[in-house]
Amino acid sequence: MNIKETICNNITTINLCGTLDASTAPTLRNFKYATAPGNPIVINMSDLDFLDSSGLGAIVGMAREKRDQGGEVLLACLNNKVRKVFEITQVYRLFDIYDDVEAATLHAEKKQGRL
Amino acid sequence: MKTLIIVKEKDCEWLRPIFPGIHPLLVPICNKPFIEFLIDFAILAGSDALRLVSDGPLSEVEQYCDSGIRWGIAISYGSFLSSDDNAMILEKNHRYCSGERVLSMNGFVFIKYDKQHDYAALFTSLTEGEILSCKKGSLSLTGGSVEAPNVIETLPLSLLELDSLEVYYRLSMEILGFGESPYVIPGYSNEAYCHIGRNVVISKSAEIRKPVIIGNNVQIMSDSIIGPQAIIGNNVIIDRASTVSDSIVIEHTYIGEHLEVQNRIAAGNILIEPESGILITMDDPHLLTGIKKSRSREALFQSLVHRILAFLIIAVQLIPFLLLSPILKFQGRWKKSTGSYYTNDAGKTLTLTTTTIDRKSALSSIAAALSLDRFTLLFSVLSGQLAIIGSVPISATPESSVTLHEMGAWYKAGVFSYAEAEEWPVSGGDKAIVERYFAVHGNPLLDIAMTIKAYFNLIHEIHTP
Repeated sequence: MNIKETICNNITTINLCGTLDASTAPTLRNFKYATAPGNPIVINMSDLDFLDSSGLGAIVGMAREKRDQGGEVLLACLNNKVRKVFEITQVYRLFDIYDDVEAATLHAEKKQGRL
Repeated sequence: MKTLIIVKEKDCEWLRPIFPGIHPLLVPICNKPFIEFLIDFAILAGSDALRLVSDGPLSEVEQYCDSGIRWGIAISYGSFLSSDDNAMILEKNHRYCSGERVLSMNGFVFIKYDKQHDYAALFTSLTEGEILSCKKGSLSLTGGSVEAPNVIETLPLSLLELDSLEVYYRLSMEILGFGESPYVIPGYSNEAYCHIGRNVVISKSAEIRKPVIIGNNVQIMSDSIIGPQAIIGNNVIIDRASTVSDSIVIEHTYIGEHLEVQNRIAAGNILIEPESGILITMDDPHLLTGIKKSRSREALFQSLVHRILAFLIIAVQLIPFLLLSPILKFQGRWKKSTGSYYTNDAGKTLTLTTTTIDRKSALSSIAAALSLDRFTLLFSVLSGQLAIIGSVPISATPESSVTLHEMGAWYKAGVFSYAEAEEWPVSGGDKAIVERYFAVHGNPLLDIAMTIKAYFNLIHEIHTP
């Protein structure tokens, strides 16, 4: 799995590409972000081909950690395969999910501006 | 044009106890799932794409509608949080909503329309904004420009809030009462007020009184009288000499012999009075019952695999159990407690003796590492009451019945849990996520792997400080 990080206006966008499963989940779990812990993160999942329960655990863990630090994780561009996993496990109840990275980033900027 | 259907769970959750196991959007209205009326209207309005968004589960609807190829419309799905307002929902669907004109159907409302009308031309001539609204829903247009806006005083459509069983019943009867229906109704109809589905067996001595709608795979036995004003769902059996009038019989229902069903809704073994909403659950399967599908072969194979696994673990644990448990009991490090636990989603309970091992000594650490605390539970797997791997058992208390209801059909108590196998926190709400995942993706072979993984994780847990 490839993790590409881009930062714009203190909003970190992470592009996940490939497979997020038991073998690649630790990479995401141990990923060090360049921005401050309280800053929001947008995860672009358009190129994520596969997600299993371990990968989901990494994303949920990341979101919990962010929330504890006063930040939040926004998800964008879930493809059908990934969305079905979110639907089955009802994880969609935990996240703000956007169909567009720009809209998610804009929302994150608005929220950050309010803080 | 595109259509966005926004359904909030709180608006339709009242239907769930009445039609358990059926998503509110799939509840049949005159044998046609509610969502199909919305899809039909979206197509009539000139939409070539439809997105369904909800703050509740949509998997059943997705399974039914799929990509929309059956209707020739591209259907996609999305989610939002219960706290989101309409502006936020539109923002979350920014990519879908940008560029083209979007018709938003908001709320759990039935749109009364006429299939003969040209809604595509109508919506093209309307300016953006709210077209129609009622207490719990609205119809609005966003995006796109209109060169010559049309001002229409009376729109050829209206909204009906689907917020009670009485409304549902009246609406069904109203549609049934149309000689030439303004909606597309399933079934063959070569005369007015009568629609009959495929594979319907009607006894020679049975009587059909119009208006009626009869679904697919229905058996109507001798001397029965169906109608007037009867809607018989798919896969229904009406036994000998029974009368069904002014009533709705929901799919997969058996109506016993010599019964008179009048002004009622029969769903499985539940009989409902639409006006008052009073529900009567019938215990006698000869009177009224649900027709259940037979258990799949895979479920039987899975149960067999679980039993074999339990037997093997018992064989491995037997000698250590016989040697260690008396010593630990003597040392006071082997503590037993008995409690009642839910075994499956149907609310079936089982009294289980659970063991807690105090891990302060070397012997107790070995016993815990070998999962000897689960030894007695393994016999419940052999008897088919527990799964070898599944959900963490929920204790049967009035408070936890709510949790059980929320978990739904995927709950099956296990000796080991998927959360233990995947090292998710066993306590707290997050464990439900991984359990739901395996409820869908699980198979007998994966269960073997996950049981072994859970077993070894427990050993590892003991040796990790």
